[in-house]
Amino acid sequence: MASVSFERVQKSFGSTKVVHGISLDIADGEFMVLVGPSGCGKSTLLRMLAGLEEISGGTIAIDGRVVNDVDSKDRDVAMVFQSYALYPHMTVRENMGFSLRLRKENSELIEERVSQAARILNLEPYLERYPRELSGGQRQRVAMGRAIVRDPKVFLFDEPLSNLDAKLRVAMRAEIKALHQRLKTTTVYVTHDQVEAMTMADRIAVVNDGRIEQFGTPLELYDRPVNLFVAQFIGSPAMNILEGALAKSGNSSCVKALGQSWPVESSGGSDGQAVRYGVRPEHIGLAGQGSGGIAAEVVVVEPMGAQTELVVRVADFSLTVVTHGRANLRPGDRLSLSPEAGHAHVFDPATGRRI
Amino acid sequence: MNRKLLREARLWLIAIPIALWTLIPIYHIFLFSISTKDSAFSGKLWPDHPTLRNFGTVFRQEHFYLHHFWNQIWNSLWIAVAVGTITLAVSTCAAFAISRLKVRGGRSVMNAALFTYFIPAAFLAVPMYKAMGAYGLLNSRWSLVLAMVTLASPYAIWVLKQASDKLPWELDEAARIDGATPLQLFRLVYLPLMLPSLVAIGTYALLLAWNEYLYAFLLLSHENTIPLAVGLGHFLASDDSPWEILMATALIYALPPAAIYYAFRRYMVGGLTSGAVKS
Repeated sequence: MASVSFERVQKSFGSTKVVHGISLDIADGEFMVLVGPSGCGKSTLLRMLAGLEEISGGTIAIDGRVVNDVDSKDRDVAMVFQSYALYPHMTVRENMGFSLRLRKENSELIEERVSQAARILNLEPYLERYPRELSGGQRQRVAMGRAIVRDPKVFLFDEPLSNLDAKLRVAMRAEIKALHQRLKTTTVYVTHDQVEAMTMADRIAVVNDGRIEQFGTPLELYDRPVNLFVAQFIGSPAMNILEGALAKSGNSSCVKALGQSWPVESSGGSDGQAVRYGVRPEHIGLAGQGSGGIAAEVVVVEPMGAQTELVVRVADFSLTVVTHGRANLRPGDRLSLSPEAGHAHVFDPATGRRI
Repeated sequence: MNRKLLREARLWLIAIPIALWTLIPIYHIFLFSISTKDSAFSGKLWPDHPTLRNFGTVFRQEHFYLHHFWNQIWNSLWIAVAVGTITLAVSTCAAFAISRLKVRGGRSVMNAALFTYFIPAAFLAVPMYKAMGAYGLLNSRWSLVLAMVTLASPYAIWVLKQASDKLPWELDEAARIDGATPLQLFRLVYLPLMLPSLVAIGTYALLLAWNEYLYAFLLLSHENTIPLAVGLGHFLASDDSPWEILMATALIYALPPAAIYYAFRRYMVGGLTSGAVKS
């Protein structure tokens, strides 16, 4: 177990800069998720920590020791790859014991560690099989087993669930989380899937274009996104964003957009300032037509059982609304929307920052 | 249905001439080898009195040209195995270094090696002879081994490099994180996964050396050092060649490659094509 710290870390490939001076401190035992769109540099960050990529600038330290010039094998990190990267010519047992064998550990210790890991991951019946004889989920578990037998300082996961189908992904998500709660090993997990990030992380770093947009707990990111990028990236379905102008009168303020007044809690900014107004689909209440809210027309109804997703139109602009339970609505119905002022966000359109 | 029939008919139209083209000379060799001396040129499709005596003559070295038969076939085998082994060792290391370790300048080395194929092997024979003379290796089996390794390696490196490129990178990275040194990566991960290609390339080099005539003829001249291919050539030195014995020897000489090819046929097709096209 160990802490990890990135200090103004940079990475360039030739003249292309892909990571622009990222600083990040990961606490001992923390489950940290790097999330962002593909090509944002999150995998590069992980690979630099693993020692698979040179660090162009800044320092990376594991447990206070700078590892920039330390070989992968001496960093005491274990990694789970998206493609699993199991050795095809070795059985599950040999795959899991490989790192210990390279370390010239005695065979009893290897046997003990491998069977312990196999027990944790329910792989005992498969120890003599080859990777090609396993399903995707089992291969994924073997890859994890290979990591945990080493008892490393840090676990690294590089989009480990991307190759699994949706149902298995949810199951493995829970398994990885349970594993972390059991082993309490510092973990850095890379994904492009914000749902994975939200459900698994102690803290999330949202990475975009080689920079960290925001670093915090999942609910901090959800409740108070610092900019438009984080606001739109975190949460599913995505936040509705409208262009409008701030209207302040005395203590109360609202945003004028689409010819309507959208409530916000009093915030900074000046009267008449152009802004982006953001409200999550689950923070818009519904009421019958003419009950004083914002008039809208239903376009699409998507019943999910526990909740219903609606696409509604306000002055030719489509918004998504999520309502709990079932809504007895059909396309073409008219209703009125009442966004919750306490959960509305206002951003500066030029900088994207929260006002 | 008709279309399928037509396609099959066309396939047969191609296959039959090719099969005949290949098999008639072999049948001819076989026919000679079971004929007596006087009936060898009778022009019949099956001899009146087929005999295996020619083979006995060969095995007992009972003919003037065959006094060193066992010695020479041993030379052929020794040289072929040495060429196969050394080519494999050289080209596997080169392919690993170029493809997996990404050694600087590796590509240029490979291209330079391939470039040598622009020069026909026959043109290189004299320089090779001079070089072996300078090293004092003429008339040693090593001269032929070294020459054949030189000729076989570029292709071997190229094929193995292509095959190496297909192994997933993550395996190397996983092994590095697991704590493998480059040598351990080579021995424990790379070699086992490359096995089919290695068998194919080893067989290729081995057969190339087994069948070589020109360089063997040039570099080796003593009856005790020449391989059987050159020994067979000596039959043609006299005006009245003992064709039936020559062909019996040739048939024996052709059996080991056929056996090797048969044993490794699975690897040959897969291995050679797997490196040939980049998918």
